[in-house]
Amino acid sequence: MAVSTESFLHLARPLAPAVIGVQPTTAPLNVILQPQAVFSILDHAIRRDIRDTQSTRVIGALLGIRSEDGMEVEVRNCFAIPHTENEDQVEVDVEYQKNMLALQLKANPREVLLGWYTTSLELNSFSALIQNFFASPETGTFPHPAVHLTVSTEAGKEIDAKAYISAPVGVNAERAAESCLFIPVPYEIRYGEAEKSGLELISGAKDSENRAAPVVSDIEGLERAVDQSIDLLERVSEYVSSVLDEEREPSNALGQFLMNALSLAPKVDAQDIERDFNNHIQDVLVVSYLANTIRTQIDLSQRLATATLTMGGSDALAATGGGEGGGDKGQRGGQRGGKRGGGGRGGGGREPREPREPAE
Amino acid sequence: MADAISKDIPLNSVQIEALVVMKIVKACSATFPTTATGALVGMDVNGTLQVTNSFPFPTADVAASDSHPNDHMAASNIAAAAPRSKANGTYQTEMIKYLREVNVDANGVGWYTSANMGNFINLGLIENQFHYQKENNEKTIALVHDVSRSSQGALSLRAFRLSPTFMAAFKENKFTTEIMQKSKLTYKDILVELPIIVHNSHLLTSFLHQLPAELPKKDLEYPSSLSELTANPPPVPLYPNLDALDLSIDPFLERTCDQLLDSIETHYTELNNFQYFQRQLAREQTKVTAWKTKRAAENATRATQKLAPLPEDEWERLFKLPTEPSRLEGMLNAKQVEQYSRQVDGFTASISGKMFAVKSNLLPESS
Repeated sequence: MAVSTESFLHLARPLAPAVIGVQPTTAPLNVILQPQAVFSILDHAIRRDIRDTQSTRVIGALLGIRSEDGMEVEVRNCFAIPHTENEDQVEVDVEYQKNMLALQLKANPREVLLGWYTTSLELNSFSALIQNFFASPETGTFPHPAVHLTVSTEAGKEIDAKAYISAPVGVNAERAAESCLFIPVPYEIRYGEAEKSGLELISGAKDSENRAAPVVSDIEGLERAVDQSIDLLERVSEYVSSVLDEEREPSNALGQFLMNALSLAPKVDAQDIERDFNNHIQDVLVVSYLANTIRTQIDLSQRLATATLTMGGSDALAATGGGEGGGDKGQRGGQRGGKRGGGGRGGGGREPREPREPAE
Repeated sequence: MADAISKDIPLNSVQIEALVVMKIVKACSATFPTTATGALVGMDVNGTLQVTNSFPFPTADVAASDSHPNDHMAASNIAAAAPRSKANGTYQTEMIKYLREVNVDANGVGWYTSANMGNFINLGLIENQFHYQKENNEKTIALVHDVSRSSQGALSLRAFRLSPTFMAAFKENKFTTEIMQKSKLTYKDILVELPIIVHNSHLLTSFLHQLPAELPKKDLEYPSSLSELTANPPPVPLYPNLDALDLSIDPFLERTCDQLLDSIETHYTELNNFQYFQRQLAREQTKVTAWKTKRAAENATRATQKLAPLPEDEWERLFKLPTEPSRLEGMLNAKQVEQYSRQVDGFTASISGKMFAVKSNLLPESS
């Protein structure tokens, strides 16, 4: 499955018999898939019930957001719909679809029904029947076209996907309901900044035997990123030196690109760098030091508040004395904490001189 | 509570399907900075809790209808309380009922919430998790996804449970000094963190291999011009994420500092409350002692007059000692401070590494 299709021919589709007053849109359509929708489809494909139906595919509805001009749909979410399929008939649980849609829309009020998906690449007359159901004015997406997404999930093969919209075509009036013209539309998989870290973690597990990976800490992630960039730099310098040794064919474009990249390096005075570096690292370290001091203070105050003090003679005295003593100590801890707090405020303001005061 | 858990194998790790990770990331980042919450479904196998699906809880869409900047606070509060509200209980049952029909594990295993720079330890989290964990024989977790930390590099996703001792104490809702001295409950024992493992299905692994991954091993064709190279950049692999090399740490440190200050303020308020209570108690006790001496003197006179002595325990009815304020808030605050300082430690570790790298890059002669 390609992440993006580069060029695409948009076919004009035959117009549907228009309802008076509502004009169906004929604009070209781009489909954007979000990773979690694809993941959800694949999950559904794994969980399909193979006992009581002969069908090897499952279907479900696509939810997401349609742009204002209707030219672009973004599939954000989807849910499975139970259905049975055999030689001569197909049954879709319409009631289930209706209820589930209502539930999903309750949690994501901005999403709308966009179409449906199935987990085989095949298009047949049942597909047309279901497509017409999803494109109809009462239960579907009319006047916008319903998107049909097919994802191949055959074991051992590449996962392939295709997106379609449909236009009505009728051999004759009786068969209009079960026939339609599927028109392929381009799609791309797009993920946002926020999803990047999630995808990183997930794809970290793809090469391991047990298909699992632990959640890593920031510093481990940093280590890997540094390793990766050192590796990349080595590749580039290897290429450059082999060009210099006239072992490999030089490329002007690559040379220009590398020059541009190198010219991004700032020209700053060594002393300035030294000074800024020292200032900044001190700031960071002071903040860290203060944060840990605050933690220790609070820890101490918590401990003193609940510590059993054994100073008093009789039991009754010890009980009241202990309580009061705890309060006293807690108060002292609090004052200290407050003082440190002032220091923390200075650290927050990031003035280079201020944070040092409480560190004395 | 503790007995119910020890009967079978306690949870020791959490295994999350990639689908759930993506769903949580999407739900949380879509509503950021408003808190998002949702339910998790799955099952437990030999002490490992497998989370296989999730769905968000419906919340009133305040942020969308009204773009007032302060409204997200109200929406956050609604969302944060969502997991224990009654309407969502029915929503959850309903949803699970439908999910069962399409062969999804129909078994609630907890809930998730979003956080902003680690500010997730509060009474809301405790109450929600208590709501889930109070059932007998439960195996539920709270997943916390930190949106702002994840944007800075590695994904921040953590799983928590309440410790059995804390559960017992919270059930009684008694957090007085005396009881805490007895039970030896400290802020470190509130939450138990479980390790998280992300798990992919075979199909998903196959799909991931089709996304841009490693750099191509074979030689590529040379681009014909610079513009072609900029127009068609080569695919960037998802893993490892080079965003982790980002140098801008200051906003994160600054925000954590602000949050630390807030915590100190809370701590101070708590202490003031407690001192007020101490003074009140002392005052009442002086009154009681005064009354007792007076009564003793009275009884002594009555004894000389050969009258029956007046009862000496009447003061319990006459004076009412103030109740001790709950220590819970202070404990949570302490836990929160600990969480912040660990976070700062983490930041410091990675940023100082990056800064030394930059320095030796710019000043190669000094290294």
